[in-house]
Amino acid sequence: MKPSANPNWNWLRPEKNMMKNLSVNRDAKWHLNQPYNARHLMFAIVALLILAVTGSRMEVPRMVQETAQGVGYVVGLNEESSVATGVMRIAESIWPLRISEEIEVSRIENFDRNDLPWLSHVEVIESRTPHLNTETLQLEETVESKEVLVKPIGYLSHVLLKMLETLEMALWGTILAVALSIPLACFAAANYAPNRFIYNLARSTISLFRAIPELVSALFLVLAFGFGPIAGFLALGIHSAGFLGKFYAEDIENADRGPQEALQSIGAGQIKTLWYGVLPQVLPQYIAYTLYILDRNIRMATVIGIVGAGGIGLELKGRFDMFNFDHVGTILVIIFLTVIILDQFSARLRSRLM
Amino acid sequence: MLRFDSVYKRFPDGTEAIRNISLHVPKGQFCVVLGPSGAGKSTLLRMLNGLSQPTEGSVHLAGEQITERSVQRLRKRVATVHQQFNLTPRMSVALNVLSGALPQVAHWRAAIGLFPPELRQKACRLLDEVGLTPEHVNRRVSELSGGQQQRVGIARAFMMDPAVLLADEPVASLDPRISRGILELLHRQSRNHDTTVLCSLHQPELAREFGDRIIAVNQGRLVFDGTPEQLTDQVCEDLYHGALAHKHDVPEVDEAECEPELELAAA
Repeated sequence: MKPSANPNWNWLRPEKNMMKNLSVNRDAKWHLNQPYNARHLMFAIVALLILAVTGSRMEVPRMVQETAQGVGYVVGLNEESSVATGVMRIAESIWPLRISEEIEVSRIENFDRNDLPWLSHVEVIESRTPHLNTETLQLEETVESKEVLVKPIGYLSHVLLKMLETLEMALWGTILAVALSIPLACFAAANYAPNRFIYNLARSTISLFRAIPELVSALFLVLAFGFGPIAGFLALGIHSAGFLGKFYAEDIENADRGPQEALQSIGAGQIKTLWYGVLPQVLPQYIAYTLYILDRNIRMATVIGIVGAGGIGLELKGRFDMFNFDHVGTILVIIFLTVIILDQFSARLRSRLM
Repeated sequence: MLRFDSVYKRFPDGTEAIRNISLHVPKGQFCVVLGPSGAGKSTLLRMLNGLSQPTEGSVHLAGEQITERSVQRLRKRVATVHQQFNLTPRMSVALNVLSGALPQVAHWRAAIGLFPPELRQKACRLLDEVGLTPEHVNRRVSELSGGQQQRVGIARAFMMDPAVLLADEPVASLDPRISRGILELLHRQSRNHDTTVLCSLHQPELAREFGDRIIAVNQGRLVFDGTPEQLTDQVCEDLYHGALAHKHDVPEVDEAECEPELELAAA
């Protein structure tokens, strides 16, 4: 037996390697690299330094301390904790969630007692307001009664409607993204771009779209189009067109060349070749990408309203600023439920297509 | 019908695929291009449908030189049958055959897949001619067997009533029994449609059986041109012996890599 020409191979079979060393290859020079060397040490030191510097700037120690205090408070070790009390105050004001809606009858224009809205009734609420009688200097209570229209699921349905608007925003954002990215992708695929200049232009447009976060572009679009869903779906569409354009273009480039050559060789032209030689190949992938983008847009659409771009985020921001935490609670629960349900749905749909 | 005038083809990496080939193929001839793999058969054929341009010399089709200006017009008269069939796998058989007529279909019709009735009828007739049944028509191409796929490819090739049919190793990925059927079909179709055929093959037996004329290419040179009777065993021997000699230039597999496995087996 002669020494193996490939030392790597011996790594895999240590027992045999040992046998060799004992019996035949005592004179052969075996050298195994140490698993760690100076470069690994340097890397570890640099990594630790980065962690130390950024950690202190991010106040990580305070975070750890206060979280520990909060945990201690919950299990009864600490008397007080600012984090725990803050969280509990919010939790207390969130619960119970706001489902119903009450409107003072006197504030409703053209109120018709015989034609109440669906599922609503009129209640009389008595409120007592204490005030000082200036003559007797006694505290007196006056009873004021006002009529209110109570809608038992009024606020919930309002939030659901807002959620629907959010979903519609996501849908139109995705439609816009697809419409923008298909022509962009054709120009950004190296084998279909008419020339180098247009190719680079399309590629950089796609990168630019991807580089602008929705929340930033929505800020400016709100200035242009005013508060409401227009700014929202435009912002979503532009950002996700950046993603879809890149995905689409790469799929066009990687599609099997055979069918394309067959159509080119009879002179079918670029557009028809794309339509008949490429599209059928990449369509399932395209649908999967588009579904993913729709899924992502729904999640983004819920928060994009915070800058005033319509949907449930606008409602959330308004209620949060008014400290109506019970309303905020309802909104959050609806957002979580929607995202969870859609996540399941789209995951299943995509796995079917792949 | 087809004419090559001292054509050279060099690739950017410096390999010479075609070296000084002159050739004339008259109308209606079934001409077989024989040669080992890598001899330049495909390159020769690809110059006729514009997928490749000669570095030197000129290629003529029906008396007109194939240039960058004329290629879009001329390639509509040239159909190609490919080694890997080159069908669009997720599309139906019908659409694949119809896509063979795409150059003469308006863009809007192509976009919504609404082909004119006469083309639809033609597609059905061709599918019948190549031996496929109506039940195949609406199935996806990827569901068919290799031989059936090549039949679809042949039907597609005849959609434009080509003057010239290029068959680039049409049977290289099929088994021998099916190969014979496909070549018989190609032969019959080209007779019936009065098409000039340039068909590359690497099996001499098949070339003798189906070719009106046989040319042989090796390492980019034309090494034989004659009738099937003139293609003696000696010629074939030379052709493939040359190929073997060529193959020895390829560096051999590093033996050291393989040896430990052998030792292990012995131990």
